[in-house]
Amino acid sequence: MKSPRAKSRTADLFAAAGIAAPVPAAVPLCARPLCARPLPAPPVAPGIARAPRLKPLWYAVVFPELAQIEHSLDELQKLCTHAQGFTPFVSIEMPDALLLEIKGSIRLFGSLEILKAAIDACWQRLGLKSCSATTPSTLAALWLARAGESMHGDDAGKLPGLLAKVPIACTAWDAERLQTLRALGLTRVGEMLRLPRGGLARRLGPEVVRDLDIAVGRQPGPRRPFMARERFRERCDFETEIEHVAYLEKALEPLIERCAQFLRHRQAGIQTLQLKLKHRELPATRVRLGLASITSERRRLSDVLTQKLMRLELKAPVRGMELISGSLRALSASSLDVFAGLTGGSSRDSAPQLVERLRARLGEEAVYGVCLIEEHRPEAAWGKVQALPLCAPSQKPTAAIEPQLPRPVWLLAQPLSIPAPQLLQGPERIESGWWDGKGVARDYYIARQAQGARLWVFQERHTGLWYLHGVFA
Amino acid sequence: MVKTWMPREVPSLADILADTRVWKLKDASAAPARPVWSTGRSSLDARLPGGGWPTASLIEVLLDESGLGEVQLFLPALVACQQRTGTEDCPWIVWIAPPHEPYAPALAQQGIELGRLLVVRPSSATEALWAAEQALSSGVCAAVLLWLKGTDNRWLRRLKLAAEAGGALGVLFRPGRHRFESSPASLRLLMTQGEPEAHLDLIKVQGGRPGPVDLGP
Repeated sequence: MKSPRAKSRTADLFAAAGIAAPVPAAVPLCARPLCARPLPAPPVAPGIARAPRLKPLWYAVVFPELAQIEHSLDELQKLCTHAQGFTPFVSIEMPDALLLEIKGSIRLFGSLEILKAAIDACWQRLGLKSCSATTPSTLAALWLARAGESMHGDDAGKLPGLLAKVPIACTAWDAERLQTLRALGLTRVGEMLRLPRGGLARRLGPEVVRDLDIAVGRQPGPRRPFMARERFRERCDFETEIEHVAYLEKALEPLIERCAQFLRHRQAGIQTLQLKLKHRELPATRVRLGLASITSERRRLSDVLTQKLMRLELKAPVRGMELISGSLRALSASSLDVFAGLTGGSSRDSAPQLVERLRARLGEEAVYGVCLIEEHRPEAAWGKVQALPLCAPSQKPTAAIEPQLPRPVWLLAQPLSIPAPQLLQGPERIESGWWDGKGVARDYYIARQAQGARLWVFQERHTGLWYLHGVFA
Repeated sequence: MVKTWMPREVPSLADILADTRVWKLKDASAAPARPVWSTGRSSLDARLPGGGWPTASLIEVLLDESGLGEVQLFLPALVACQQRTGTEDCPWIVWIAPPHEPYAPALAQQGIELGRLLVVRPSSATEALWAAEQALSSGVCAAVLLWLKGTDNRWLRRLKLAAEAGGALGVLFRPGRHRFESSPASLRLLMTQGEPEAHLDLIKVQGGRPGPVDLGP
């Protein structure tokens, strides 16, 4: 949440929330700041006019009841959707609080008082006990709300004074730190603000000093806005139980059509899909699908689903089904092609589609690609690729290790012991791999079998035995 | 029972040729030329109609043992078909049920774009034929190589139709015992062991003449 990287993402986060990046107001903590560092200028690309800065205003609301609930995240996510009626920027503060950026909404509602009353009324309607506070700083609002101080204002100058009385238990620091603080005789945030920063940072870690800086408004406290996860989910119950897969396919068609429409309206695609078949007594059968690339095409979805269904053996008659999509992903430019469906014709399909269809029937592992590995040992110089470069052609292999002799098309999984063959070409000495326990010391030759086949053989240098390793087909 | 028809007088050659029931070999080879891929062997190219492997058709290679250079006959064609269309929509090559692992360094050495090579390992012959039909008719594959122990005529016909629909080159490797069965493949080759090069025999050539081919350099 507060990693060093968070700072660099600040501008992005605020941009995502549609508000200008906040200017950290340089408010002196005490009369003589012990090490007042100059704040870095916010990153602005050259040539872009600086937008009028809007200092954010944070409304924090704490639900004391949620602190006891085990799965408070689910509850908070539900509350987020309510809060998004007031502002687009809502952040979840585990375990029991929400932070709302409300500066942009004040004008819409008239004044801060009306807005605050409207949000508080929302929690009341939901039957939740809540405590709220509004300040220009994220952490100050949270701490004040936890302390039960109902303070609503946008004067950053008052923050140190207000925070003075807040007990340290209201900060979200871990128990160990709080114990250290109590051992030092500190119980209020105000007492900490009077202490030298260097000592605090040494005893409690730099995070504490940073949190204090954020609380008094010296530093921005970036937050990540909550985004509701959207996915397609629709069920369909049958009047009579279905026993044959062929009828299921028919019943699935409208669901797939609606799913494709849902995706088209959002200009999004999916990569995973789940079909749940409900039975009367047995637990539901789940059919999971993985697609080779992000798609929103109805034809591809139904194609893969049909292939999966064809191989499915129904345990019991089906009385209803539910189609659940994975999380929505942005479509790539090529899949947004308007004319793709028109020019392609019905018999042609794309490479990902072919791979999907093959994998749906034969299994994931049965369809793979091969790649080069920069390695001298022949058996280790290649690898299987499951994630194929399905959309873009791969880069040319970096042939750093150019073999001297031609390599055979077929490589035997295990070298076969053979009598000394009739040699045609060679040797090529390969001696490598002493470091990983699979060291080889071999002389490779191209040999001829008595019947005419060309073989790739090697002689083990230590034992002098001959092995067959490949066939020139 | 075959009915024999004895002419009262021997017709002239011109009369026979004018008969619509007579299929003229010369006309067939003069039919609109399909693109062909060179085999890399001039002696073999010369024997094939159009001067190379025909695209959008099924080729059957009959051989009993791997290692006779049978894949080598098709590698130049595979490289050529990947290079001709450019990098933007480089077509795919699918190898279905190969007898051993295709060795990536060897294929890269020959110039095959490995990012566009798909290896399929089906669990049964029926699955392999199904996969081949899908790949051939998909239109994204330039060539599909299929290794089988044996298959019936009906499936071969389906593969041929799929290859024609998808414009792909289908190559089927089968054991030599199938040489006496009829096959819809447009080209049938028999490879047998020989010294120093394997013997190649054209059993069936649509639009060409069957016969042994000397696989010279």
